[in-house]
Amino acid sequence: MSSLLSYITTVSTMRRQASTSQAIMRRRSCDEILFMIFLFECGKMRATRISQMPNVQDHLLGWNIPQDHMELVHPHWRGFVAPGKYWHIGMALVYFMLLVMSFVGNGCVVWIFSTSKALRTPSNLFIINLAIFDLVMAVEIPMLIVNSFVERPVGWELGCDIYAALGSVSGIGSAITNAAIAYDRYRTISCPIDGRLNGKQAAVMIVFTWFWAMPFTVLPFAKIWGRYTTEGFLTTCSFDFLSDDQDTKVFVGAIFAWSYCIPMMFIVYFYSQLIKSVRRHEKMLREQAKKMNVKSLVSTGQDKERSTEMRIAKVAFTIFFLFVCAWTPYAVVTLIATFGNRELITPFSSMLPAVFAKTVSCLDPWVYAINHPRYRQELTKRCQWMGIHENEPSGGGQAEAVSVTTERLKNDDA
Amino acid sequence: MFALLLMAYVAAVKVYKKTTPNGKVTVYLGKRDFVDHLDYVDPIDGIVVIENDYLQGRKVYGQVTTTYRYGREEDEVMGVKFSKELVLCKEQIIPAKKDSNKDYTPIQERLLRKLGSNAYPFLFQFPANSPSSVTLQPGDDDQGKPLGVEYTVRIFVAEGDDDKGHKRSSVALAIKKLQYAPPTRGRRLPSSLVSKGFTFSQGKLNLEVTLDKEIYYHGEKVSANVIVTNNSRKAVKNIKLAVVQHCEVTMVNAQFSRQVASLETREGCPITPGASFSKQFFMVPLASSNKDRRGIALDGHLKDDDVNLASSTMVADGKAPNENMGIVISYSVRVKLNCGTLGGELQTDVPFKLMHAAQGAGEGSREGEGGGRDRKMKRTKSVERNRYSDNYANDDDDNIVFEDFARLRLNDPE
Repeated sequence: MSSLLSYITTVSTMRRQASTSQAIMRRRSCDEILFMIFLFECGKMRATRISQMPNVQDHLLGWNIPQDHMELVHPHWRGFVAPGKYWHIGMALVYFMLLVMSFVGNGCVVWIFSTSKALRTPSNLFIINLAIFDLVMAVEIPMLIVNSFVERPVGWELGCDIYAALGSVSGIGSAITNAAIAYDRYRTISCPIDGRLNGKQAAVMIVFTWFWAMPFTVLPFAKIWGRYTTEGFLTTCSFDFLSDDQDTKVFVGAIFAWSYCIPMMFIVYFYSQLIKSVRRHEKMLREQAKKMNVKSLVSTGQDKERSTEMRIAKVAFTIFFLFVCAWTPYAVVTLIATFGNRELITPFSSMLPAVFAKTVSCLDPWVYAINHPRYRQELTKRCQWMGIHENEPSGGGQAEAVSVTTERLKNDDA
Repeated sequence: MFALLLMAYVAAVKVYKKTTPNGKVTVYLGKRDFVDHLDYVDPIDGIVVIENDYLQGRKVYGQVTTTYRYGREEDEVMGVKFSKELVLCKEQIIPAKKDSNKDYTPIQERLLRKLGSNAYPFLFQFPANSPSSVTLQPGDDDQGKPLGVEYTVRIFVAEGDDDKGHKRSSVALAIKKLQYAPPTRGRRLPSSLVSKGFTFSQGKLNLEVTLDKEIYYHGEKVSANVIVTNNSRKAVKNIKLAVVQHCEVTMVNAQFSRQVASLETREGCPITPGASFSKQFFMVPLASSNKDRRGIALDGHLKDDDVNLASSTMVADGKAPNENMGIVISYSVRVKLNCGTLGGELQTDVPFKLMHAAQGAGEGSREGEGGGRDRKMKRTKSVERNRYSDNYANDDDDNIVFEDFARLRLNDPE
């Protein structure tokens, strides 16, 4: 009991010291502060390691946040020990890798899709739009890396709001763009002759995706409904899901439905319809082949007809699975924090969902663009250093057509 | 002397030829258009000439494939292919199978005599129910191969039955399968009589449209006699007429219509209550007046100069029209009476057929005959013999004009 008391007093004095030292420091230039904090942290880290200080001496989360900005730290987090330096550096490293991947992947997509004439189709506008949303998500990564080194949100409230708004716009936007892509593909594949969206319709839908992302970005930003706050290691920001009031609960429920359930429903519906129509087309073609007395045979050890349907199903499932991977962790964490047992929400477990979401935003270009034969060709042409080898389509046209290898029934006269 | 030369030229038989890229195998075809006479289809007859000592134990195969393309290449996402290739028949040509008949078609006999010992004949039959060649005109911004149904004869050198052959030693010839009009056009005059009542007023507006023929040949004027009897209290503001091409893509169960000729008139308008109006209108549906309009169906075209609108699909007696395959074409004359914004429209469609005139004069006796393939073969031969009879009389071997085979497709990327 006494040890606990002494622990609390130690922590509170330390926090007070920290806040006073920060107050002094605030007068100095920003760079100097960063540098000093960095030195201070390094020194502390070394000290910790050398003297093997007991755990009791560790800081609690939010120790370095001055009193003026204490609002940024929900009391829930203050109960946890602050993560060590290496946690932050590790997080920064992971995010740095994601940043590079996202910029290379999505940058290539935007660059090639918007400059190549052959790729400028209405359907590809959605791919570009998705890449832009993903890039917006990547823009917040440098902020996080800086935050990780100072172990607090840089720019306090404003920085936090910007960070969270970027995340919200890109997250909700990419979710609904996924749904829009599903719709476009469904239209194109189910009626290949005249079903695909024209440029105007595609543009309207893209504007719509940005509007879709707006309510849950602007309202918390303006603090009209919900608010943005720090989460986890206090280096990332998101909407507030910890406040224990009715407003927050409704907000979390609404954002859950708006940015997770509705896009997910669209994605599931359109891809399942798409697979259905592919199956219908395949069946119709098989019937016609049968009527012409050509019997489809298994060609060279592989049933190609079946694989058409299976391949589509696989791609559709991959996209669905990626969506689930990206946003389910976030949904689960926020729902538990709001409606369930929030003791389960540790700083680490609340940092993880953001990593998932950002990882998927780096994978999007691979899933959507690399599957695109023309994009691969273009990439081969422009970036030989990438070592991608995509064959140009042959002029004869026979080699690439999916051939239903067929042969006349030998005994059809019998 | 000059006149004699000219005579010889006129009497000459045109033969199409194409050589493999390595120059070792040459294929000769007597024609590129094969006519579906409903009860039988012209067989694909040709000759393969091999360079001395080229084969060295390898075999030469021939196959007829039909390619359905029912969606644009650029729209192929997720690994979907909007094209299917069906191998209708595949046979070994060299060495000749023992059971193959020695019954050659006239053109084969002539070519065999001319091309010597390295020439080998081949004969393929279109399977029953095979669809006609149709090309859907690509739009301005469309890339890739045009949509439609096309046929290809492919001759290739291979080691065995499973070997698909190499590009250098294979040759593909695009051919067309067409339908010609029956020799007699029939007496029936297609007509339609419709009437329309109005919600808040008594009396009816009657419209009768009669065409002067059931079957029109390509390039002919379509004449529609329009009789309007206005017993209603509304006035007819104007009259619109159009020749509509209906296109049913059975592979994906899609239908669409395009106007291929149209006119709008205010002649006799307004047709006031109690008045009547009668006039004959003429329209000429032509491919040349519909250049660059996307989705207009054309008879599968191999060269720029032989473009015409797709012929109506004919159905053999005793077969349901919905058993048709590939792309099914039909035409109608559509007449629309416009009764102003409140009155609405009265519209009717009168179906007709647009076809090529039947070939040859002596074919009238064909009707009503059934019979096996042998009989059909003989009949084909007799027709062919008619065609080439002059040359037989002269027995002039040099009267063969070789024409290099046209390029495979209209807008090959190369």
